[in-house]
Amino acid sequence: MKNCLVTDLDRCSGCDSCVAACKFENDIDLGMYYRRVPAVGPTGTFPNIEMYWLPFQCQQCANPGCIEVCPTGASYRDEATGVVLIDEEKCIGCETCLTGCPYQVRTLNPTTNIVEKCTLCFQRSGDENWVPACVRTCCTGAILFGDLDDPESTVSKAVAAAGAANCHQIADANGVLPSSIYILSEKTAKWQDDPEGLVRYGVTRQTTQV
Amino acid sequence: MVHTEVTRRSFIQASVLLGAATAVGASLSGCMKEEAAVATVDSSDGLVKIKTACHGCIQVCPAIAYLKDGVVVRLEGDLDAPVSRGSLCIKGLNQIHTMYSPRRVLHPLKRAGERGENKWEVISWDDAIEEAASHIVDAIEKYGPYSFFSSVGGGGAYSFIEAMTLPMAMGSPTVFEPGCAQCYLPRWSMSKLFYGGNDQSIADNAVQEIFRVGDDNKAEVVIVWGAQPSVSETAESGRGMAELRAAGVKTVVVDPNFSPDAAKADVWLPVRPGTDTGLILSWYRYIIENKLYNEQFTKYWTNMPFLIDPDTKLPVLASELFPAFKQTTPENTPAYICYDIKTNAVAPFEYSAPEDSAVDPEIFWTGDFNGKTYKTAGQIYKEQAEPWTLEYTAENCWLEADKIEAAIRLYTHADDDGTVAGIANGVASDMTESASQVPLGLMGLDSIMGYINTPGCTMTQYGPGNQPTKRPVTYHNGFGGMFSDMYGIGAVIGMSDAENEARINNAEAFPQQKLANQLLVDRLGMKDHKGLYAWCHSHIPTVREAIATGEPFKPRVWFDMSGNKLAMLGNAKSWYDVFPEVDYVIGQYPMLTSFHVEAADLVFPLREWLEEPMVNMCQLNTQWLQNETVHIGETVSHGIPCVQVTKKVAEKLGGTLPGLVPGLLGSATEAEVKASVAATLQAPSWEELIADTDKYVPLVTPEDVYFGYHQQETVVDDGLPAGFATESRKIEVYCQILLKLARTGYPFCYPTPQEACEDYSPICEYIEPAESPVGDTEYPFVLTSGRVPYFHHGTMRHAPFSRELFPTAEIRINPASAQELGVSHMDWVKVTSRRGEVHARAYLTEGVNPHTVWMERFWNPECFDASQTNPTAGWRECNVNVLTKNSAPFNEVYGSYTNRGFTVKIEKSTKPANIWVEPEEFAPFLPTEEMKAEAQTKDVF
Repeated sequence: MKNCLVTDLDRCSGCDSCVAACKFENDIDLGMYYRRVPAVGPTGTFPNIEMYWLPFQCQQCANPGCIEVCPTGASYRDEATGVVLIDEEKCIGCETCLTGCPYQVRTLNPTTNIVEKCTLCFQRSGDENWVPACVRTCCTGAILFGDLDDPESTVSKAVAAAGAANCHQIADANGVLPSSIYILSEKTAKWQDDPEGLVRYGVTRQTTQV
Repeated sequence: MVHTEVTRRSFIQASVLLGAATAVGASLSGCMKEEAAVATVDSSDGLVKIKTACHGCIQVCPAIAYLKDGVVVRLEGDLDAPVSRGSLCIKGLNQIHTMYSPRRVLHPLKRAGERGENKWEVISWDDAIEEAASHIVDAIEKYGPYSFFSSVGGGGAYSFIEAMTLPMAMGSPTVFEPGCAQCYLPRWSMSKLFYGGNDQSIADNAVQEIFRVGDDNKAEVVIVWGAQPSVSETAESGRGMAELRAAGVKTVVVDPNFSPDAAKADVWLPVRPGTDTGLILSWYRYIIENKLYNEQFTKYWTNMPFLIDPDTKLPVLASELFPAFKQTTPENTPAYICYDIKTNAVAPFEYSAPEDSAVDPEIFWTGDFNGKTYKTAGQIYKEQAEPWTLEYTAENCWLEADKIEAAIRLYTHADDDGTVAGIANGVASDMTESASQVPLGLMGLDSIMGYINTPGCTMTQYGPGNQPTKRPVTYHNGFGGMFSDMYGIGAVIGMSDAENEARINNAEAFPQQKLANQLLVDRLGMKDHKGLYAWCHSHIPTVREAIATGEPFKPRVWFDMSGNKLAMLGNAKSWYDVFPEVDYVIGQYPMLTSFHVEAADLVFPLREWLEEPMVNMCQLNTQWLQNETVHIGETVSHGIPCVQVTKKVAEKLGGTLPGLVPGLLGSATEAEVKASVAATLQAPSWEELIADTDKYVPLVTPEDVYFGYHQQETVVDDGLPAGFATESRKIEVYCQILLKLARTGYPFCYPTPQEACEDYSPICEYIEPAESPVGDTEYPFVLTSGRVPYFHHGTMRHAPFSRELFPTAEIRINPASAQELGVSHMDWVKVTSRRGEVHARAYLTEGVNPHTVWMERFWNPECFDASQTNPTAGWRECNVNVLTKNSAPFNEVYGSYTNRGFTVKIEKSTKPANIWVEPEEFAPFLPTEEMKAEAQTKDVF
């Protein structure tokens, strides 16, 4: 099972509704996020510019660095669904996993002293039709959820339809093998492996261009 | 039901003095409680699921609310909604916080300190109604009915009709809304004058055809002009545009700011703010020069071939040039003059189906007849556009010639075999002196291209009644002519003069015709800006002037029906300065804003959208229910306070009001509101509606009734094609009715005319913004504004999740300009115009021209949080409307002032006191346990 998000960046308009839906669903404190939607760009010089948004959350890596470094086994992969999760009972808030994750998508909740991140709304996994809150609310139909190992899943079909040239993954310097796939065609913007925008307009910044 | 002995409105007798606004949300014991509404329990998670619709913006997307123990804990879009398709944006999601915000006002409040001190006393509804009514009665008795005025607008309340009709009941002509002339009225009204049809607004539910779902969608190219649907109506037309783009529809976006829709466009034209008319004229020039227009459609369905009298500027009637002309068409059918290519002669041009026409009219012609030189309307337009070459336009409008050309070629299918396109416009032009000129020009483009009443085109008529059986007419006074038929005012376009006279000279049917007509004539600012009659609104700067000077009369008692007027009105300080001149100010809103703090003497508590039953916007052929999902405190639906106050005023005046009857249109009780909602959705009663919502919601109009095409060709009762509901039955690209409007007030001021003013231009003409950046060395940047997806109008600045993501005002500056200013990304800067100064954080982006800056409006409710040691009302710090220009020149037809496209200077500054920017700072805006524990309460009225 390779449950993850596939996001169509040709559609995403950076409205941040998925961020709010995530925060309401998961009861996330002010200042904490499981996902952010930074703008990559605009790149180029006015008026010859392009831009896309990069909704960003746990990439559901095949070789997760977080699990590898977690000293207590709190970070683990759910066998049935393949989702990378954190066992609240076992987490000691040591933040070691933050060093294992190259994508800064894990945060220590200072109130509970437990590390949190996107679980693909695992609390909904028992639902007849498991759909994460971000996917459910998305205002452009950009975010898809499903099992990339199943060729008949929505995500697999979307990836196939987009074609390999338009499918991208976050740079993987650490060999963690991220699962999430981003669809972006050059008609919208050129994909950037290591976008400067992520630093300047990045996930730690409070505002995103819209 | 929990029964109680207490009467509905008298249970709070004890006055409670409260020091700070943050405490007003707290309820008092004694509210009439009610058990939660009956609804289905979703078995999987134990949540109660209620079908409703979001009112986080004007678009009203269908939604599902999930409740736990009577508290709404989750909101989702309704997957059955045809356009939003289950999407729900951050504005809608915010309601979970704003519904239970500690900022909520749950009881009537009376000012308990000086204006500005933010001290309030909770009073009973009985006392509040008495207070309001007695101040209105006192003013009417002492100063006359014109001392009363109302206003609305700002987001989060919906009292459009009530605000418009309340002064009518009181016998006053004065009402305004910061939107109106600055938002949508110019585009809406102009479309009625232009062709009696739907306008091109991509918001406001106007453009629907392109969002038609399924294989039926024939859209090929959409021009988004001065609109950002992905931001303004994110889940609805934003979703619609995303679906269109995904389906391969090409788009052109005209916007000074690199909006999400611009980022996805095939061609982006970052026009210099306020110069859109020049760009529009360049499209005319290119299309005419390259013969890209639809010749057949332009000849026979527009008035472009009509000869125009150089003296009157009006099209010449056949009977004027040919006294012996005997028309072959039925009586009252108009006949004009053209230059006939078949006979090479000036000839009568009778109204007929194109294939039945006796003449082949020339569109572009100049020549003499009987010693006078005439031009066709087409020729006049061609000459108007003549200077606007691609190169000149590029230079003047800060664009690139090849991109303008690429956009026009996409729009006209110059390089492919497509057949349709359509322009969808937005609020940008309404906020400039060009407010009437831009829609006039843009509708004209779609008309000469023949992109009318055709699948895939924005200017296509829809809805019940779109398919004509009788000769179509346009009513102009009030929506669907409601005021025309109530009071006997206004001419009906499409009827002959004789028919209009017969209709209006009916003293028995219209006993108040004289008073109604007088209220039109006396309305402030009407002489010069007669287009405002379309929504019966006054000219805002003239109202302000009247308050300040007492000339020609002094408005003294103000009933405002929504929002933060200080964040919404242009040149906010000029309004703050006249507040002392207003004797009494009544407000109503779900929370206190800067306006209430600075001006209000009395505040009525309103329901949030989760509490208020309503049917508003449709999605295509479906109508949805905004449900009464919950209800706390003593809040009421938006229309109720003014109806209750009016009843009390009538009682005090001996049973009769000084104004029009029926005058105020609104519901007095929640039961009436609910009955009206049920009737709209064709349910037998409110109770049956909510007991079986799925049976009645959505209300679907059959597709074959709702959608229709080529309506102008349908032969109607007089044996001729329906044409369009204008004087000429053609699309009046040369908008001849505007000349009559300027000269007499026709068709609004009728039967008694209004004093003349300067002629309005019947075609699009270029207007250089009054504060032009060209040559302005003191204020070198041109500022324009727009929305961000986190807020709608002045709403949600107290929504913590929106605020942590977009904490405070930002100004987008090109990095090259910022470098010259010594400003870095996220530095605070001071932005100064000739009106005032505000602060914002600099957002450096290549997405704006180096000479353009872009800002969203803002106000800061945290400035009067209880935690502040030196509280302010939060409207001076970051509010773009401190900078905007509400002085002449105004748009000639609608009196619109300049919210966009004026000049500013920028300097580095520091964060103003009281402004919050860190996520944790917004914690005082989070719902409190106390608010969530508020009991469900019964209807107050």
